[in-house]
Amino acid sequence: MKHSAAEILREYGPFPGVERVHGVSFDGENVWFASGEKLNAFDPQSGQKLRSIDVAAHAGTAYDGRHFFQLANDRIQKIDPDTGAVLSTIPAPGGGGDSGLTWAEGTLWVGQYRERKIHQIDAETGKILRTIESNRFVTGVTWVDGELWHATWEGDESDLRRVDPKTGKVLEKLDMPDGIGVSGMESDGGDRLFCGSTSDGVVRAVRRPK
Amino acid sequence: MDSLITAAALALAAGDPLAALDRVALREDAPALALRGIAMAQLGDFDRAKLLLRRAARAFSPKEAVARARCVVAEAEIALVSRDLGWPAKALDAARTTLEKHGDRLNAAHAGHLKVRRLLLIGRLDEAEHVLAGLDPTPLPPAARAAHELAVAGIAMRRLRIRPARAALEWARHAARQAGIPGLMAEVDSASLALETPAARLISQGTQRPLLLEEVEALQGSPALVVDAFRYAVRAADRTVSLASRPVLFALARALAEAWPEDASREELVARAFGGKHADESHRARLRVEIGRLRAELAALADISATKRGFTLAPRQARAVLVLARPIEERHAAVLALLADGEAWSSSALALALGTGQRSVQRALEPLAEAGKVQSFGHGRARRWMTPPMAGFTTTLLLPAPLPSS
Repeated sequence: MKHSAAEILREYGPFPGVERVHGVSFDGENVWFASGEKLNAFDPQSGQKLRSIDVAAHAGTAYDGRHFFQLANDRIQKIDPDTGAVLSTIPAPGGGGDSGLTWAEGTLWVGQYRERKIHQIDAETGKILRTIESNRFVTGVTWVDGELWHATWEGDESDLRRVDPKTGKVLEKLDMPDGIGVSGMESDGGDRLFCGSTSDGVVRAVRRPK
Repeated sequence: MDSLITAAALALAAGDPLAALDRVALREDAPALALRGIAMAQLGDFDRAKLLLRRAARAFSPKEAVARARCVVAEAEIALVSRDLGWPAKALDAARTTLEKHGDRLNAAHAGHLKVRRLLLIGRLDEAEHVLAGLDPTPLPPAARAAHELAVAGIAMRRLRIRPARAALEWARHAARQAGIPGLMAEVDSASLALETPAARLISQGTQRPLLLEEVEALQGSPALVVDAFRYAVRAADRTVSLASRPVLFALARALAEAWPEDASREELVARAFGGKHADESHRARLRVEIGRLRAELAALADISATKRGFTLAPRQARAVLVLARPIEERHAAVLALLADGEAWSSSALALALGTGQRSVQRALEPLAEAGKVQSFGHGRARRWMTPPMAGFTTTLLLPAPLPSS
């Protein structure tokens, strides 16, 4: 297993009216994050906040190229990014104990926070297809270049780890600095992992090692 | 943090504990237990709230030290609001240290203020002042700032420093308004009311009038000979003679001061000091002895001379004699004074605050309850006393969020 310190490239925010970041997503251009009662977008180049959608947004966020998927209460909502309308909902696999969310090839991957689990579910029905175990509380989850990454945060410690999607075995680990926790996480498809803060309204870009 | 916990925490922050409970009512994990505890506290069910917070503190892992400490602080606040003053203060200190160590300054300050308020309630002003001096209010958000200034005002009022008390209350009012918490604003208002409500009575030369706290303060520098029924002391200029441990002598001093410049009759002195209806020979003999003792105690301040019918007070330097008395004097006035804060007290908390035994507090409460002046609810150790009508618990709960994310 490769093990190193996370390299923080940049910090975005805090944004006005945003107390905490609960989930992070990327639509190819802009970073989106859940702040409780809103989904908010900012431009990762300028750091400028762009727009927001009024929708319950209590934990992880994902984007499938056309829609957002957003955890709220014990459901996953499918949201039209243009109108903000909730098109459909499916039950969340953790019954509301869910944290991170990411989309990959027709399925959703959902972190179940204190159960230290990641579920792969059918994005249409919510049916659990597979479950892998972590040994830490699971927050953000993301897929990039065929790699499954998830963030952990337990007590004062937080790290980002690449795991084997079949076995859950940890392949690589990036330790976050002391006292900096990660809630949501999403890759930009390149060498950046956007990480939501557990304690304030900040999103950090962390370098994804090659 | 997970989805339902976030949703429940948002509901709690929006002042909707029922909506918060809706989301986590059936969950038994640590953050859910903590949120349920805080929601129950906001709904006034302190017993269940304490139980839930205690379970939450145990359910958080040892690594989640901050979350555990926040549960302890929340439990301490509930104990304080329900006047369970015997609650282990050491646990609060330990939680405060943990929060400080982990950089949670806000909740550490909250723990500090709880400690100050407890010390204030049990009348340990020096300690309260010392702890408060170590807390810097400038970086605090409005609600915490208001709590801080209320504590400053509370100490200043008890120390009879009225200008600083007013200034602190102004700060508190400003901060409470900024925080937008109605309960907190009401608490500032009721604290301010204490400055506009008679705090004492001044008896002099056969007349009496109510005194505001401010006037009591002004009396501190008075050139008169003051017989102070709050402190059981006699003072003039900068000399004070404490008679706190000599109730008979104090009763005599007060009777003489109230009669001044006339004399007080033997009958009256005997009645006031010994509770006897008639002054028989043995009473007269005892009176002579006690007057002799009082004369020795007050030698530097006043002389006491015998007259035809009794005794008279003659101040040495002072040109006037004043008696400072409680605004309403009846038996068990001290118990009523504590209950006048509108909170529910346990008899053990009253005993602690009055520095007396629980049994004697109970002996005071029973006749007061029969007279309808106090009422109780709960049974056994959970029994609480308050003055009617049931005013509810006015002390605002500013419970810390128990979640490591906040």
